[in-house]
Amino acid sequence: MRGPPARHHDEAREQLPAPEGLIADASELKPNDRVVYPSQGVCVVVGDEEMEIAGQKQQFVRMAREEDGSAISVPKNKVPSIGLRRVATGAQMEGVFHYLGAVYDDPELDWKVRHRDNADRLIAGGVLGVAEVVKGLHSLSRLRPLPTKEREQYDNARHLLVHEVAVSLGVPPGIAEDYIDYALMPPAGVKFDLKPPPAPVLLPSRPKKRLPVAEEEEGGALADLGLGDLGIDLGALDGALEGEAVAGEEGHGEGEGEREGEEAGEGGAEGAEAAGEEEAPPPPPRPERKPKAPPKERKAAEKKERPAAAAKPAGAKVAEKKAKAPQAKAAKPAKAAAKKGPTKKAAEKPARAAPRRGGKKK
Amino acid sequence: MIRIVTLEKLDPADLAFLTRTLYQAFGLGTELAGERAVPSDVETSDGRLDAVKLLKEVAPVRTFADDKVLYIVGAPLALPPGPLGEPPCWGFAEYGKERAVITTANLPARGVTEASIEAWRRRLAREAIHAVGHLWDLHHCYDAKCAMHPSWSQSLPANPEMELCSFCRDKSERKIRLAKT
Repeated sequence: MRGPPARHHDEAREQLPAPEGLIADASELKPNDRVVYPSQGVCVVVGDEEMEIAGQKQQFVRMAREEDGSAISVPKNKVPSIGLRRVATGAQMEGVFHYLGAVYDDPELDWKVRHRDNADRLIAGGVLGVAEVVKGLHSLSRLRPLPTKEREQYDNARHLLVHEVAVSLGVPPGIAEDYIDYALMPPAGVKFDLKPPPAPVLLPSRPKKRLPVAEEEEGGALADLGLGDLGIDLGALDGALEGEAVAGEEGHGEGEGEREGEEAGEGGAEGAEAAGEEEAPPPPPRPERKPKAPPKERKAAEKKERPAAAAKPAGAKVAEKKAKAPQAKAAKPAKAAAKKGPTKKAAEKPARAAPRRGGKKK
Repeated sequence: MIRIVTLEKLDPADLAFLTRTLYQAFGLGTELAGERAVPSDVETSDGRLDAVKLLKEVAPVRTFADDKVLYIVGAPLALPPGPLGEPPCWGFAEYGKERAVITTANLPARGVTEASIEAWRRRLAREAIHAVGHLWDLHHCYDAKCAMHPSWSQSLPANPEMELCSFCRDKSERKIRLAKT
Protein backbone atom coordinates (compact mmCIF):
# COMPACT_ATOMS: atom_id res chain seq x y z
CA MET A 1 0.00 0.00 0.00
CA ARG A 2 1.26 3.46 -0.83
CA GLY A 3 1.45 6.18 1.77
CA PRO A 4 -0.96 9.09 2.06
CA PRO A 5 -0.87 11.51 -0.92
CA ALA A 6 1.30 14.59 -0.98
CA ARG A 7 0.05 17.99 -0.01
CA HIS A 8 -2.19 19.80 -2.54
CA HIS A 9 -0.31 22.88 -3.68
CA ASP A 10 -2.84 24.30 -6.08
CA GLU A 11 -6.07 23.95 -4.17
CA ALA A 12 -7.31 26.46 -1.69
CA ARG A 13 -7.63 25.48 1.97
CA GLU A 14 -11.40 25.97 2.03
CA GLN A 15 -12.10 23.54 -0.82
CA LEU A 16 -10.81 20.49 1.04
CA PRO A 17 -13.23 18.13 2.76
CA ALA A 18 -13.49 18.49 6.53
CA PRO A 19 -13.04 15.35 8.67
CA GLU A 20 -16.22 13.45 9.34
CA GLY A 21 -18.16 14.56 12.42
CA LEU A 22 -16.70 18.07 12.53
CA ILE A 23 -18.70 20.38 14.76
CA ALA A 24 -19.57 23.45 12.74
CA ASP A 25 -21.50 25.36 15.36
CA ALA A 26 -21.36 25.62 19.15
CA SER A 27 -25.14 25.15 19.36
CA GLU A 28 -24.64 21.47 18.36
CA LEU A 29 -22.90 20.82 21.69
CA LYS A 30 -24.89 19.68 24.68
CA PRO A 31 -23.81 18.73 28.20
CA ASN A 32 -22.35 15.19 28.48
CA ASP A 33 -21.55 15.05 24.75
CA ARG A 34 -18.22 13.41 24.03
CA VAL A 35 -16.05 15.29 21.56
CA VAL A 36 -12.45 15.09 20.38
CA TYR A 37 -10.33 18.19 20.74
CA PRO A 38 -7.39 17.98 18.26
CA SER A 39 -4.07 17.22 19.98
CA GLN A 40 -5.82 17.06 23.39
CA GLY A 41 -7.97 13.97 23.20
CA VAL A 42 -11.48 13.02 24.17
CA CYS A 43 -13.38 15.61 26.21
CA VAL A 44 -16.82 15.74 27.80
CA VAL A 45 -18.91 18.87 27.37
CA VAL A 46 -19.75 20.26 30.79
CA GLY A 47 -21.88 23.22 29.73
CA ASP A 48 -21.84 26.89 28.78
CA GLU A 49 -20.39 29.69 30.82
CA GLU A 50 -19.97 33.43 30.54
CA MET A 51 -16.67 35.07 31.40
CA GLU A 52 -15.51 38.64 31.38
CA ILE A 53 -12.21 39.11 29.59
CA ALA A 54 -10.64 42.55 29.14
CA GLY A 55 -13.94 44.20 30.04
CA GLN A 56 -15.96 42.22 27.50
CA LYS A 57 -18.39 39.46 28.30
CA GLN A 58 -17.90 36.33 26.21
CA GLN A 59 -19.73 33.03 25.92
CA PHE A 60 -17.61 29.89 26.36
CA VAL A 61 -18.17 26.17 26.01
CA ARG A 62 -16.69 24.42 29.01
CA MET A 63 -15.24 20.92 28.57
CA ALA A 64 -13.32 18.45 30.73
CA ARG A 65 -10.64 16.16 29.35
CA GLU A 66 -11.58 12.56 30.13
CA GLU A 67 -8.05 11.39 30.70
CA ASP A 68 -7.19 13.66 33.61
CA GLY A 69 -10.19 15.94 34.11
CA SER A 70 -8.41 19.10 32.90
CA ALA A 71 -10.83 21.97 32.22
CA ILE A 72 -10.93 23.48 28.73
CA SER A 73 -12.95 26.58 27.83
CA VAL A 74 -13.44 27.50 24.19
CA PRO A 75 -15.11 30.73 23.01
CA LYS A 76 -18.30 29.81 21.22
CA ASN A 77 -17.37 31.71 18.08
CA LYS A 78 -14.07 29.77 17.85
CA VAL A 79 -15.70 26.33 17.96
CA PRO A 80 -15.99 25.92 14.15
CA SER A 81 -12.34 26.82 13.56
CA ILE A 82 -10.52 24.67 16.17
CA GLY A 83 -11.41 21.34 14.56
CA LEU A 84 -13.60 20.01 17.36
CA ARG A 85 -15.30 16.80 16.19
CA ARG A 86 -17.44 13.95 17.42
CA VAL A 87 -15.86 10.68 18.57
CA ALA A 88 -15.37 8.30 15.63
CA THR A 89 -18.23 5.94 14.88
CA GLY A 90 -17.92 2.15 14.65
CA ALA A 91 -17.79 2.24 10.85
CA GLN A 92 -15.03 4.84 10.87
CA MET A 93 -13.10 2.82 13.41
CA GLU A 94 -13.36 -0.32 11.30
CA GLY A 95 -11.84 1.60 8.39
CA VAL A 96 -9.02 2.75 10.65
CA PHE A 97 -8.20 -0.83 11.66
CA HIS A 98 -8.24 -2.01 8.07
CA TYR A 99 -5.87 0.83 7.28
CA LEU A 100 -3.58 -0.10 10.19
CA GLY A 101 -3.56 -3.76 9.18
CA ALA A 102 -2.58 -3.10 5.55
CA VAL A 103 1.05 -3.47 4.50
CA TYR A 104 2.64 -0.06 4.19
CA ASP A 105 5.94 0.28 2.41
CA ASP A 106 6.21 3.91 1.42
CA PRO A 107 7.08 6.13 4.40
CA GLU A 108 7.91 9.76 3.62
CA LEU A 109 11.68 10.04 3.90
CA ASP A 110 12.06 13.83 3.88
CA TRP A 111 11.87 14.67 7.57
CA LYS A 112 10.80 18.28 7.07
CA VAL A 113 7.84 17.35 4.88
CA ARG A 114 6.99 14.41 7.12
CA HIS A 115 7.04 16.36 10.35
CA ARG A 116 4.95 19.21 8.94
CA ASP A 117 2.42 16.86 7.34
CA ASN A 118 2.12 14.78 10.48
CA ALA A 119 1.48 17.87 12.60
CA ASP A 120 -1.29 18.90 10.18
CA ARG A 121 -2.77 15.40 10.18
CA LEU A 122 -2.94 15.35 13.96
CA ILE A 123 -4.83 18.64 14.02
CA ALA A 124 -7.07 18.46 10.98
CA GLY A 125 -7.11 14.86 9.84
CA GLY A 126 -9.67 13.29 12.14
CA VAL A 127 -9.17 9.80 13.54
CA LEU A 128 -7.83 8.54 10.22
CA GLY A 129 -5.24 11.33 10.20
CA VAL A 130 -4.02 10.25 13.64
CA ALA A 131 -3.89 6.63 12.45
CA GLU A 132 -1.88 7.72 9.41
CA VAL A 133 0.69 9.40 11.65
CA VAL A 134 1.00 6.29 13.84
CA LYS A 135 1.24 3.96 10.85
CA GLY A 136 3.69 6.16 8.94
CA LEU A 137 6.08 6.66 11.85
CA HIS A 138 5.79 3.03 12.87
CA SER A 139 6.77 1.82 9.42
CA LEU A 140 9.60 4.35 9.35
CA SER A 141 10.83 3.06 12.72
CA ARG A 142 11.35 -0.32 11.09
CA LEU A 143 13.83 1.27 8.70
CA ARG A 144 15.68 3.40 11.27
CA PRO A 145 15.19 4.67 14.82
CA LEU A 146 13.09 7.81 15.01
CA PRO A 147 14.71 11.10 16.10
CA THR A 148 13.62 12.42 19.50
CA LYS A 149 11.05 14.90 18.20
CA GLU A 150 9.38 12.34 16.01
CA ARG A 151 9.53 9.75 18.76
CA GLU A 152 7.54 12.16 20.92
CA GLN A 153 5.16 12.87 18.06
CA TYR A 154 4.68 9.13 17.57
CA ASP A 155 3.97 8.66 21.26
CA ASN A 156 1.49 11.56 21.31
CA ALA A 157 -0.31 10.26 18.22
CA ARG A 158 -0.47 6.78 19.72
CA HIS A 159 -1.86 8.21 22.95
CA LEU A 160 -4.61 10.08 21.09
CA LEU A 161 -5.47 7.06 18.97
CA VAL A 162 -5.58 4.66 21.94
CA HIS A 163 -7.99 6.87 23.85
CA GLU A 164 -10.26 7.51 20.90
CA VAL A 165 -10.39 3.80 20.04
CA ALA A 166 -11.13 3.01 23.68
CA VAL A 167 -14.01 5.49 23.82
CA SER A 168 -15.37 4.54 20.43
CA LEU A 169 -15.33 0.77 21.04
CA GLY A 170 -16.18 1.01 24.73
CA VAL A 171 -13.12 -0.93 25.96
CA PRO A 172 -10.37 -0.01 28.45
CA PRO A 173 -7.36 1.82 26.91
CA GLY A 174 -5.09 -1.16 27.65
CA ILE A 175 -7.18 -3.37 25.38
CA ALA A 176 -7.52 -0.63 22.75
CA GLU A 177 -3.73 -0.49 22.50
CA ASP A 178 -3.56 -4.26 22.11
CA TYR A 179 -6.05 -4.02 19.23
CA ILE A 180 -3.95 -1.34 17.54
CA ASP A 181 -0.70 -3.26 17.90
CA TYR A 182 -2.35 -6.49 16.84
CA ALA A 183 -3.16 -4.72 13.56
CA LEU A 184 0.25 -3.04 13.27
CA MET A 185 2.39 -6.03 14.31
CA PRO A 186 0.41 -9.22 13.82
CA PRO A 187 1.89 -12.37 15.40
CA ALA A 188 3.53 -15.00 13.22
CA GLY A 189 1.07 -16.90 11.06
CA VAL A 190 -1.81 -14.40 11.40
CA LYS A 191 -3.25 -12.92 8.21
CA PHE A 192 -6.15 -10.50 8.19
CA ASP A 193 -9.01 -10.48 5.74
CA LEU A 194 -8.78 -6.78 5.03
CA LYS A 195 -11.19 -4.54 3.21
CA PRO A 196 -9.90 -1.68 1.07
CA PRO A 197 -8.79 1.10 3.44
CA PRO A 198 -10.67 4.42 3.45
CA ALA A 199 -9.55 7.32 1.27
CA PRO A 200 -6.47 8.96 2.81
CA VAL A 201 -6.65 12.38 4.42
CA LEU A 202 -6.08 15.27 2.01
CA LEU A 203 -3.83 17.88 3.51
CA PRO A 204 -4.52 21.57 2.98
CA SER A 205 -2.19 23.73 0.92
CA ARG A 206 0.28 25.90 2.74
CA PRO A 207 0.94 29.53 1.81
CA LYS A 208 4.22 29.87 -0.05
CA LYS A 209 7.01 31.56 1.82
CA ARG A 210 8.26 34.84 0.41
CA LEU A 211 11.95 34.67 -0.42
CA PRO A 212 13.90 37.50 1.19
CA VAL A 213 15.79 39.83 -1.19
CA ALA A 214 19.46 40.01 -0.29
CA GLU A 215 19.96 43.70 -1.21
CA GLU A 216 16.95 44.84 0.75
CA GLU A 217 18.08 42.81 3.73
CA GLU A 218 21.55 44.34 3.77
CA GLY A 219 20.22 47.85 3.32
CA GLY A 220 17.56 47.24 5.92
CA ALA A 221 20.08 45.87 8.41
CA LEU A 222 22.31 48.91 8.07
CA ALA A 223 19.34 51.23 8.25
CA ASP A 224 18.17 49.44 11.39
CA LEU A 225 21.42 50.28 13.14
CA GLY A 226 20.54 53.95 12.96
CA LEU A 227 24.02 54.92 11.73
CA GLY A 228 22.58 57.63 9.52
CA ASP A 229 21.32 59.41 12.59
CA LEU A 230 24.84 59.42 14.04
CA GLY A 231 26.18 61.18 10.95
CA ILE A 232 28.00 58.16 9.49
CA ASP A 233 27.91 57.84 5.70
CA LEU A 234 26.20 54.53 4.91
CA GLY A 235 27.57 54.46 1.35
CA ALA A 236 31.16 54.64 2.62
CA LEU A 237 30.43 51.93 5.16
CA ASP A 238 29.07 49.65 2.41
CA GLY A 239 32.27 50.20 0.43
CA ALA A 240 34.40 49.31 3.44
CA LEU A 241 32.39 46.14 4.06
CA GLU A 242 32.80 45.10 0.41
CA GLY A 243 36.55 45.73 0.66
CA GLU A 244 36.75 43.44 3.67
CA ALA A 245 34.83 40.78 1.85
CA VAL A 246 37.26 40.94 -1.11
CA ALA A 247 40.24 40.66 1.23
CA GLY A 248 38.61 37.61 2.84
CA GLU A 249 38.16 36.02 -0.56
CA GLU A 250 41.76 36.64 -1.42
CA GLY A 251 42.87 34.97 1.76
CA HIS A 252 40.75 32.00 0.85
CA GLY A 253 42.26 32.02 -2.61
CA GLU A 254 45.75 31.77 -1.14
CA GLY A 255 44.79 28.65 0.72
CA GLU A 256 43.44 27.13 -2.44
CA GLY A 257 46.58 28.05 -4.29
CA GLU A 258 48.69 26.29 -1.71
CA ARG A 259 46.54 23.21 -1.83
CA GLU A 260 46.67 23.14 -5.59
CA GLY A 261 50.41 23.52 -5.46
CA GLU A 262 50.76 20.58 -3.08
CA GLU A 263 48.54 18.39 -5.20
CA ALA A 264 50.42 19.39 -8.29
CA GLY A 265 53.60 18.28 -6.62
CA GLU A 266 52.10 14.83 -6.22
CA GLY A 267 50.50 14.18 -9.53
CA GLY A 268 50.79 17.08 -11.98
CA ALA A 269 49.22 20.50 -12.28
CA GLU A 270 46.48 19.58 -14.73
CA GLY A 271 45.34 16.57 -12.76
CA ALA A 272 45.24 18.61 -9.60
CA GLU A 273 43.10 21.29 -11.20
CA ALA A 274 40.69 18.67 -12.49
CA ALA A 275 40.47 17.10 -9.03
CA GLY A 276 39.87 20.50 -7.50
CA GLU A 277 37.01 21.07 -9.89
CA GLU A 278 35.46 17.73 -9.05
CA GLU A 279 35.76 17.95 -5.30
CA ALA A 280 34.94 21.56 -4.54
CA PRO A 281 32.23 23.75 -6.09
CA PRO A 282 33.56 26.26 -8.66
CA PRO A 283 34.80 29.46 -7.02
CA PRO A 284 32.82 32.65 -7.69
CA PRO A 285 34.13 34.88 -10.50
CA ARG A 286 36.46 37.64 -9.37
CA PRO A 287 36.57 40.30 -12.02
CA GLU A 288 38.27 42.91 -9.77
CA ARG A 289 41.33 40.82 -9.19
CA LYS A 290 43.11 41.19 -12.52
CA PRO A 291 42.75 44.93 -12.97
CA LYS A 292 44.19 45.50 -9.47
CA ALA A 293 47.63 45.68 -11.00
CA PRO A 294 49.98 42.80 -10.22
CA PRO A 295 53.62 43.96 -10.05
CA LYS A 296 55.24 44.92 -13.33
CA GLU A 297 58.10 42.46 -12.92
CA ARG A 298 55.71 39.52 -12.65
CA LYS A 299 53.79 40.60 -15.75
CA ALA A 300 56.98 40.82 -17.73
CA ALA A 301 58.17 37.41 -16.51
CA GLU A 302 54.83 35.85 -17.43
CA LYS A 303 55.00 37.31 -20.93
CA LYS A 304 58.43 35.80 -21.43
CA GLU A 305 57.52 32.41 -20.05
CA ARG A 306 54.15 31.88 -21.76
CA PRO A 307 55.36 30.78 -25.22
CA ALA A 308 58.02 28.54 -23.68
CA ALA A 309 55.58 26.94 -21.21
CA ALA A 310 53.38 25.63 -24.02
CA ALA A 311 56.26 23.57 -25.37
CA LYS A 312 57.46 22.26 -22.01
CA PRO A 313 56.47 18.79 -20.63
CA ALA A 314 54.27 18.30 -17.52
CA GLY A 315 57.25 17.81 -15.15
CA ALA A 316 58.68 21.15 -16.17
CA LYS A 317 55.30 22.79 -15.55
CA VAL A 318 55.29 21.47 -11.99
CA ALA A 319 58.76 22.81 -11.30
CA GLU A 320 57.72 26.14 -12.75
CA LYS A 321 54.64 26.32 -10.59
CA LYS A 322 56.67 25.59 -7.49
CA ALA A 323 58.97 28.41 -8.40
CA LYS A 324 56.03 30.74 -9.05
CA ALA A 325 54.34 30.05 -5.74
CA PRO A 326 56.60 32.21 -3.58
CA GLN A 327 56.44 34.99 -6.16
CA ALA A 328 52.67 34.91 -6.07
CA LYS A 329 52.76 35.03 -2.28
CA ALA A 330 54.99 38.00 -2.44
CA ALA A 331 52.67 39.73 -4.87
CA LYS A 332 49.49 39.30 -2.81
CA PRO A 333 50.52 41.13 0.34
CA ALA A 334 51.81 43.84 -1.91
CA LYS A 335 48.26 44.24 -3.23
CA ALA A 336 46.92 44.54 0.26
CA ALA A 337 49.58 47.07 1.04
CA ALA A 338 48.62 49.08 -2.04
CA LYS A 339 45.05 49.27 -0.76
CA LYS A 340 46.01 50.48 2.67
CA GLY A 341 48.73 52.80 1.48
CA PRO A 342 52.46 52.42 0.73
CA THR A 343 54.33 51.52 3.93
CA LYS A 344 57.84 50.13 4.19
CA LYS A 345 56.93 47.28 6.50
CA ALA A 346 54.33 45.85 4.16
CA ALA A 347 56.76 45.92 1.27
CA GLU A 348 59.51 44.22 3.26
CA LYS A 349 57.43 41.32 4.63
CA PRO A 350 56.98 39.36 1.37
CA ALA A 351 60.64 39.83 0.52
CA ARG A 352 61.56 37.98 3.73
CA ALA A 353 58.95 35.26 3.28
CA ALA A 354 59.92 34.27 -0.24
CA PRO A 355 63.50 33.06 0.29
CA ARG A 356 62.58 31.28 3.53
CA ARG A 357 60.03 29.04 1.76
CA GLY A 358 62.39 28.42 -1.10
CA GLY A 359 64.96 27.33 1.44
CA LYS A 360 62.55 24.83 3.01
CA LYS A 361 61.79 23.18 -0.29
CA LYS A 362 65.44 22.65 -0.96
CA MET B 1 5.33 1.10 45.89
CA ILE B 2 4.76 -1.98 43.75
CA ARG B 3 2.87 -4.81 45.45
CA ILE B 4 2.98 -8.32 44.01
CA VAL B 5 0.04 -10.65 44.62
CA THR B 6 0.15 -14.26 43.45
CA LEU B 7 -2.95 -16.20 42.37
CA GLU B 8 -0.95 -19.45 42.14
CA LYS B 9 1.97 -20.98 43.98
CA LEU B 10 5.34 -19.57 42.86
CA ASP B 11 8.89 -20.41 43.91
CA PRO B 12 10.17 -17.88 46.52
CA ALA B 13 13.47 -17.57 44.63
CA ASP B 14 11.56 -16.57 41.48
CA LEU B 15 9.62 -13.97 43.42
CA ALA B 16 12.80 -12.61 44.99
CA PHE B 17 14.31 -12.20 41.51
CA LEU B 18 11.12 -10.50 40.32
CA THR B 19 10.97 -7.99 43.18
CA ARG B 20 14.64 -7.14 42.69
CA THR B 21 14.18 -6.59 38.96
CA LEU B 22 11.08 -4.41 39.37
CA TYR B 23 12.90 -2.28 41.91
CA GLN B 24 15.80 -1.81 39.49
CA ALA B 25 13.51 -0.99 36.57
CA PHE B 26 11.36 1.69 38.24
CA GLY B 27 13.33 2.68 41.34
CA LEU B 28 10.29 1.96 43.49
CA GLY B 29 10.03 -0.22 46.53
CA THR B 30 8.61 -3.65 45.68
CA GLU B 31 7.19 -6.19 48.06
CA LEU B 32 5.10 -9.34 48.16
CA ALA B 33 1.57 -8.64 49.33
CA GLY B 34 0.48 -12.25 49.74
CA GLU B 35 -1.62 -14.76 47.86
CA ARG B 36 -5.25 -14.54 46.76
CA ALA B 37 -7.71 -17.00 45.22
CA VAL B 38 -8.88 -16.75 41.62
CA PRO B 39 -12.51 -15.48 41.53
CA SER B 40 -14.90 -18.23 40.62
CA ASP B 41 -16.93 -16.64 37.84
CA VAL B 42 -14.16 -15.22 35.65
CA GLU B 43 -13.56 -18.40 33.70
CA THR B 44 -14.64 -18.35 30.06
CA SER B 45 -16.14 -21.28 28.12
CA ASP B 46 -12.73 -22.36 26.80
CA GLY B 47 -11.11 -22.58 30.25
CA ARG B 48 -9.28 -19.25 30.12
CA LEU B 49 -9.76 -16.37 32.53
CA ASP B 50 -11.39 -13.13 31.47
CA ALA B 51 -8.63 -10.63 32.24
CA VAL B 52 -10.87 -7.57 32.57
CA LYS B 53 -13.33 -9.36 34.81
CA LEU B 54 -10.58 -10.87 36.92
CA LEU B 55 -9.12 -7.48 37.78
CA LYS B 56 -12.55 -6.22 38.77
CA GLU B 57 -13.42 -9.14 41.00
CA VAL B 58 -10.17 -10.28 42.56
CA ALA B 59 -9.86 -9.65 46.32
CA PRO B 60 -8.14 -6.30 46.89
CA VAL B 61 -4.97 -5.67 48.90
CA ARG B 62 -4.32 -2.70 51.13
CA THR B 63 -2.78 0.12 49.09
CA PHE B 64 -1.91 3.79 49.41
CA ALA B 65 -1.92 6.57 46.80
CA ASP B 66 0.19 5.76 43.71
CA ASP B 67 0.70 2.15 44.76
CA LYS B 68 0.62 -0.35 41.91
CA VAL B 69 -0.61 -3.89 42.35
CA LEU B 70 0.58 -6.69 40.08
CA TYR B 71 -1.34 -10.00 40.07
CA ILE B 72 0.35 -13.14 38.73
CA VAL B 73 -1.85 -15.97 37.50
CA GLY B 74 -1.00 -19.38 36.03
CA ALA B 75 -4.03 -19.91 33.77
CA PRO B 76 -4.18 -18.37 30.28
CA LEU B 77 -6.00 -15.03 29.98
CA ALA B 78 -8.57 -13.91 27.43
CA LEU B 79 -9.47 -10.47 26.05
CA PRO B 80 -12.66 -9.43 24.24
CA PRO B 81 -12.20 -9.72 20.44
CA GLY B 82 -11.50 -6.51 18.53
CA PRO B 83 -12.25 -5.38 14.95
CA LEU B 84 -9.53 -7.69 13.54
CA GLY B 85 -9.93 -10.55 16.02
CA GLU B 86 -8.70 -11.34 19.50
CA PRO B 87 -5.13 -10.30 20.24
CA PRO B 88 -2.91 -12.73 22.16
CA CYS B 89 -3.04 -11.97 25.88
CA TRP B 90 0.12 -12.02 28.00
CA GLY B 91 -1.38 -9.67 30.55
CA PHE B 92 -3.73 -6.77 31.02
CA ALA B 93 -3.25 -3.46 32.83
CA GLU B 94 -5.62 -0.66 33.73
CA TYR B 95 -3.77 2.03 31.83
CA GLY B 96 -2.51 4.74 34.19
CA LYS B 97 -4.35 3.24 37.16
CA GLU B 98 -3.61 0.76 39.92
CA ARG B 99 -3.98 -2.86 38.90
CA ALA B 100 -2.45 -5.20 36.36
CA VAL B 101 -2.45 -8.95 35.82
CA ILE B 102 0.05 -11.15 33.98
CA THR B 103 0.01 -14.84 33.18
CA THR B 104 2.79 -17.41 33.27
CA ALA B 105 0.90 -19.66 30.82
CA ASN B 106 2.58 -18.19 27.72
CA LEU B 107 6.13 -18.28 29.09
CA PRO B 108 8.56 -20.95 27.85
CA ALA B 109 8.77 -24.07 30.03
CA ARG B 110 10.58 -23.43 33.32
CA GLY B 111 12.55 -26.67 33.13
CA VAL B 112 14.97 -27.88 35.76
CA THR B 113 18.33 -26.64 34.49
CA GLU B 114 19.82 -23.43 35.76
CA ALA B 115 19.82 -21.90 32.29
CA SER B 116 16.14 -22.66 31.65
CA ILE B 117 15.09 -21.38 35.07
CA GLU B 118 17.10 -18.20 34.51
CA ALA B 119 15.47 -17.72 31.08
CA TRP B 120 12.01 -18.26 32.62
CA ARG B 121 12.66 -15.74 35.39
CA ARG B 122 13.90 -13.15 32.96
CA ARG B 123 10.84 -13.58 30.77
CA LEU B 124 8.53 -13.31 33.77
CA ALA B 125 10.34 -10.17 34.87
CA ARG B 126 9.94 -8.70 31.38
CA GLU B 127 6.19 -9.25 31.40
CA ALA B 128 5.97 -7.76 34.90
CA ILE B 129 7.90 -4.64 33.83
CA HIS B 130 5.66 -4.38 30.75
CA ALA B 131 2.48 -4.49 32.85
CA VAL B 132 3.74 -2.07 35.51
CA GLY B 133 4.93 0.23 32.69
CA HIS B 134 1.32 0.47 31.47
CA LEU B 135 0.30 1.40 34.99
CA TRP B 136 2.76 4.30 34.74
CA ASP B 137 1.20 5.52 31.43
CA LEU B 138 3.74 3.90 29.10
CA HIS B 139 2.52 2.83 25.68
CA HIS B 140 3.88 0.01 23.58
CA CYS B 141 7.29 0.74 22.13
CA TYR B 142 8.48 -0.05 18.59
CA ASP B 143 11.95 -0.93 19.88
CA ALA B 144 12.17 -4.74 20.08
CA LYS B 145 14.84 -4.47 22.80
CA CYS B 146 12.52 -2.54 25.09
CA ALA B 147 10.35 -4.31 27.67
CA MET B 148 7.36 -2.30 26.40
CA HIS B 149 7.51 -3.95 22.95
CA PRO B 150 4.40 -6.12 22.42
CA SER B 151 5.05 -9.63 23.71
CA TRP B 152 3.62 -11.34 20.62
CA SER B 153 5.66 -9.36 18.09
CA GLN B 154 7.54 -11.31 15.44
CA SER B 155 10.58 -9.09 15.88
CA LEU B 156 10.91 -10.01 19.56
CA PRO B 157 14.03 -12.18 20.05
CA ALA B 158 13.77 -15.63 21.65
CA ASN B 159 15.31 -14.39 24.89
CA PRO B 160 14.21 -10.74 25.05
CA GLU B 161 15.71 -8.02 27.22
CA MET B 162 13.99 -7.14 30.48
CA GLU B 163 14.88 -3.44 30.43
CA LEU B 164 13.17 -0.28 29.24
CA CYS B 165 14.59 1.74 26.34
CA SER B 166 15.88 5.23 27.15
CA PHE B 167 12.67 6.95 25.94
CA CYS B 168 10.38 4.72 28.04
CA ARG B 169 12.67 4.95 31.04
CA ASP B 170 12.69 8.76 30.86
CA LYS B 171 8.94 8.87 30.51
CA SER B 172 8.33 6.52 33.43
CA GLU B 173 10.76 8.46 35.62
CA ARG B 174 8.95 11.69 34.74
CA LYS B 175 5.58 10.17 35.60
CA ILE B 176 6.87 8.74 38.87
CA ARG B 177 8.40 12.10 39.80
CA LEU B 178 5.07 13.83 39.15
CA ALA B 179 3.12 11.29 41.17
CA LYS B 180 1.22 12.56 44.19
CA THR B 181 3.36 10.84 46.78
